[in-house]
Amino acid sequence: MTDQKTPVEQRVVTPVDPSRRTEIDKQRVPMSARPYRLLALVKQDAVVRVQKEPDDTVMTWPHLLSIEFLAAGMMSIFLLLMGLFINAPLEALANGNVTPAVAKAPWYFLGLQELLAYFHPTVAGVMVPTFVLVGAALIPFVDRGNVLSFRPSERKTAVVLFTLFCILGLTLTFVGIFFRGPGYSFVVPYLPFFPNSTNGLHFAL
Amino acid sequence: MSFLERVDQGIRRSVVWRSLFRQPYPNDERSRAYAVMNNVFLHLHPVRVRQHAVKFAYTFCLGGLSFFLFLVLTITGVYLMFFYVPSATMAYTNILDIQTRVTFGLLTRNIHRWGAHLMVFFVFLHMMRVFYHGAYKPPREFNWVVGVVLLFLTIMLSFTGYLLPWDQIAYWAITIGTNMGGYAPLFNTPVNRLLLGGLEVGQNTLLRFYVLHIMFLPLIAAIFLAVHFWRIRKDGGISGPL
Repeated sequence: MTDQKTPVEQRVVTPVDPSRRTEIDKQRVPMSARPYRLLALVKQDAVVRVQKEPDDTVMTWPHLLSIEFLAAGMMSIFLLLMGLFINAPLEALANGNVTPAVAKAPWYFLGLQELLAYFHPTVAGVMVPTFVLVGAALIPFVDRGNVLSFRPSERKTAVVLFTLFCILGLTLTFVGIFFRGPGYSFVVPYLPFFPNSTNGLHFAL
Repeated sequence: MSFLERVDQGIRRSVVWRSLFRQPYPNDERSRAYAVMNNVFLHLHPVRVRQHAVKFAYTFCLGGLSFFLFLVLTITGVYLMFFYVPSATMAYTNILDIQTRVTFGLLTRNIHRWGAHLMVFFVFLHMMRVFYHGAYKPPREFNWVVGVVLLFLTIMLSFTGYLLPWDQIAYWAITIGTNMGGYAPLFNTPVNRLLLGGLEVGQNTLLRFYVLHIMFLPLIAAIFLAVHFWRIRKDGGISGPL
């Protein structure tokens, strides 16, 4: 009478407190279902260190989507206010016979138009934009120095070159916006003590 | 239970409501996952995102806002299309009518114009953000290339729309812009003729820019946008953290 348990009771796996379940507990199946015998238990940490990545994720709803909806809402309000209070420019009817005093391209092309003042149109109007676009597309295939470094401090060359390029483009665009007047001549806006000063900006969005 | 609560319950338990929304309001992790997965618009997102990606200061929502502006421009643009004929004799009058006689016409045109400028600006900013985070590095090289194509398409969308009011600034800005195409080596004349549909900016140019602006370029942009968003997830989600 040493063994009082019936065979059915022996197969029952004792439930483990869910918060204390180990990897072994998860794999535990009734003895009868296993075609092998348990020979020994080896502590998990002693042999294999399971590479378990820390869970640094959050649910998309609400954490990401709420921010996106908020940003879209703010943008809607901003656009509505801008549309209510600032009218889009509309000049006189197009006339191919009357050249306007100031003919400027849209602001994102003003850097190129500024280059036109210094270089031949083939260079400023065709080659530079082609090189810029193709060059931009090729950046990931050129910058192969260390594909694993992401911080700006680890890839100073790329960051400095890109920043210089951006500053150059911004400078050309700003000169085109503020310092170009009738006939695309160099003017200084708002400052009457300059000989080539003008009353206002020669610029429309 | 108050009257409003009973109405609310009644609506939520109705057959119509439950046919629209399969899950109750997402409160626990499982239903929140379903809320994203089962929605055709939201399933663009993964169910879970990495924690640094939801910080506003990491992305500044620049890419998302560029896409939102694309949607705003599509909606306002479709409304404007009802009142605009791409004809050299009628276009300018149509714009004047939109501004003075069409209901919310002036507001719609204003939003379309400012939204277009903002979209170009935001796409530039998005590109700079991506560069400074090194997010073009493997495995995201191809998505950067798609992004450059989208930048080009955004600028072209804005540029073709510039001609449509058919006023002086439009006419002369497009004249300057298309003249540059005439200086391309080897294929200068064909490019110029193809863009203008003639020797100078005229009726053919207006029609070409109109079709490019309202149909061709938005379609191409939509395809590249789909690839762009798809590749974000296929390339392992958003880059970083730094």
